[in-house]
Amino acid sequence: MHRHTLARSGAAVVAGAVLLAGCSGSSDDGATEGADAPACAPSEGPVELTYTGWVPGMEDAVALWNEANPDIQVTYNTGPSGNAGTYQDFFNQLEAGQAPDLGQIEFDTLPNFRVQDGLVNIADCEGVLEAGDQFVDWTWQQVTFGEEGSVFAIPQDTGPMAMFYRADLFEEAGIDVPTTWDEYADAAAAIRDEGAYITHFPRTDVNWFAGLVWQAEGRWFENDGEQWTVDLTGPQSTEVADYWQGLIDEGLVKDTAGFSDEWNNELNTGELWTWVSAVWGSNSISSGAPDTAGDWAVAPMPQWEPGADAAGNWGGSSVAVLKGTDHPYEAAQFALWLNTSEESLTALNEGGGLYPATTAGLELPALKEGLEFYGDQPIFDVFAEAAAATDPSFTWGPTMAQTYNDVADGFGAALSGSGTLLEALQAGQDATIRTLESQSIPVAE
Amino acid sequence: MSTVTAGRRAPRRSGSPPRGRTHHAGALAILVVPFFVLFTMFYLVPIGYAVFRSFRTVEREGTFGPATEVFGGLTQYEQVFASDAFWASLGRVLLFGAVQVPVMLGLALVLALLIDSPLVRGKKFYRLAFFAPYAVPGVIAAIMWGFLYSPSLSPFSAVTSSVPLLGGGLVLWAIANVVTWVYAGYNMLIIYSALQAIPGEIYEAARIDGAGQLRIAWSVKIPLVVPALVLTGVFSIIGTLQLLTEPQVFRTFTTSVSSTFTPNLVVYTTSTVPNFNLAAAFSVVLALLTFVLSFVFLRLTQRKAFQ
Repeated sequence: MHRHTLARSGAAVVAGAVLLAGCSGSSDDGATEGADAPACAPSEGPVELTYTGWVPGMEDAVALWNEANPDIQVTYNTGPSGNAGTYQDFFNQLEAGQAPDLGQIEFDTLPNFRVQDGLVNIADCEGVLEAGDQFVDWTWQQVTFGEEGSVFAIPQDTGPMAMFYRADLFEEAGIDVPTTWDEYADAAAAIRDEGAYITHFPRTDVNWFAGLVWQAEGRWFENDGEQWTVDLTGPQSTEVADYWQGLIDEGLVKDTAGFSDEWNNELNTGELWTWVSAVWGSNSISSGAPDTAGDWAVAPMPQWEPGADAAGNWGGSSVAVLKGTDHPYEAAQFALWLNTSEESLTALNEGGGLYPATTAGLELPALKEGLEFYGDQPIFDVFAEAAAATDPSFTWGPTMAQTYNDVADGFGAALSGSGTLLEALQAGQDATIRTLESQSIPVAE
Repeated sequence: MSTVTAGRRAPRRSGSPPRGRTHHAGALAILVVPFFVLFTMFYLVPIGYAVFRSFRTVEREGTFGPATEVFGGLTQYEQVFASDAFWASLGRVLLFGAVQVPVMLGLALVLALLIDSPLVRGKKFYRLAFFAPYAVPGVIAAIMWGFLYSPSLSPFSAVTSSVPLLGGGLVLWAIANVVTWVYAGYNMLIIYSALQAIPGEIYEAARIDGAGQLRIAWSVKIPLVVPALVLTGVFSIIGTLQLLTEPQVFRTFTTSVSSTFTPNLVVYTTSTVPNFNLAAAFSVVLALLTFVLSFVFLRLTQRKAFQ
């Protein structure tokens, strides 16, 4: 077996990745700034910036900027979606002092990067603090961590959730489109009788599950400034977990991994009928299941209380200026333009289905039109209502990459029939507290 | 092997010291230095740095306080030994190796004996055909098999939809099949070259003694290729403990492969947190265990193999 080459690199993989950091002394030379952010001054002469993200169509927006700003040229690199690889790249690059100037980071992972000292506080950069008013409140809350004089990223998009469903199949089968989670479970049984599944339970998309908990008004983390509180198994989380455990036990949901080829195939062939997902999911479906064009529609998320209008949020990104950049001023200017200008937001919506984080962006003409793939339904209206109904106070933990991994392992076990979703949350809770302690992050037991 | 035995048969006589040693010092240095520079840069230094990091720990104040790296003694190692996931993953790959390595090496031996047999035609073709899977990059092989196994994407969906090849009970053996597919031909080639090195007179003598092809394979060829089997055995043990590619790729096909499925996945997952110090400690422990296991295997087999 000629894997000894792999063996070598395996034994040294971590060391190799951080080898370069050894020279730069990575420990405490760049402590997180609190309120005393360094002055943010423009650089002399032409500037070249690097930016890594994974939004489809980002190249077009960057090209618009480069055309208008010959002295600040941005090179865009596409990575895999955050938890699928880009975050790890960022962490490694930060450790090695080689990070790009700008990086796409979802709101749920901003605390993780802040704890790892990967973010530049750009509050002193021209126009940044003033821009706060332009953004949907909860997104600004996420990037400032609710602190005066701190801005660690510029919000880019949000992920209000709704339910994508195969309107044609529901109608053919004579099944009512569910408006509550109880109806959703009934529909799941009816669809199973048709030989298909209502949806998949995605083991690795723990942030999707968090969106459901968010809708149910559960809270996983709290930070009072002194210490963190971790609560993955509160009453709301338990309710959501028990509900999906019931569907899994009855064999009513598929265990396909989300965003996999197999999942695309199941969407494309009508084996899956719904997907409770975020606004950017519209793009995932249209690219993954091209044969079903015109058959999908969007309805609000099923509710826990009949007649309620609660919604959750899944994903949504910010653009952060990463530690080690020589040009925080220019990077901040680009990030502001990218996420507030109409031309950029339009390009990003057309290319990547991005749903802007600015209040003005929600009025974009592109967001008022019907989409052909969704039977000409103006689907963004549904998401606008969901965005307005999203509770702004959800807080993310400082080691989300680890929390997601551990909960996902438990979810995988539950899908394989050993253990339950609730046990997975409990295991994730314990592992998170252990990890916080091992990183010397104060946490309430 | 032949050089070793030749050396033994003709031990160097004392008396005239080897000449020209000093004359070649410069040439030797030129030949050897590049190796040692690369060996140091990409082998010793990373290992040293991993060991260094494994003794560090992080301190900070407040929820977002600045992190300071300090000497932590055995803090990380305490966590390694307290990690159920790590030891469970180790048990998993040991079970994997106990079954997969003998199967794969047995298969490689049989294939090598077949293409070495004078009765087989088209040896070159078979040699290439058996070896071809090794030319497929591991990731590609894993993706390909993932598609073949997957219930709804497989061309054999009649089988894959009724037998849960990617389910919790079978996925380890589904991975074993991929590994065997990739590496059996490679190991066959090592064993085959050992067979080629056997002098023809031995076969002649065996034939004169009345041995048929099966008898020659059993009593002459196999004993003489045992050193090659030991070598491939050690490579396979190391490879098994370092399993990463196949399970990592399979994570996109199945929910049954956790983020801590194999020891190397534990290292990888820990570094994504990111907790580089703990990942380094896992790596060091894994490397030591690999070393110990390979050493024990060699000691157990050495006496028979190299006498």
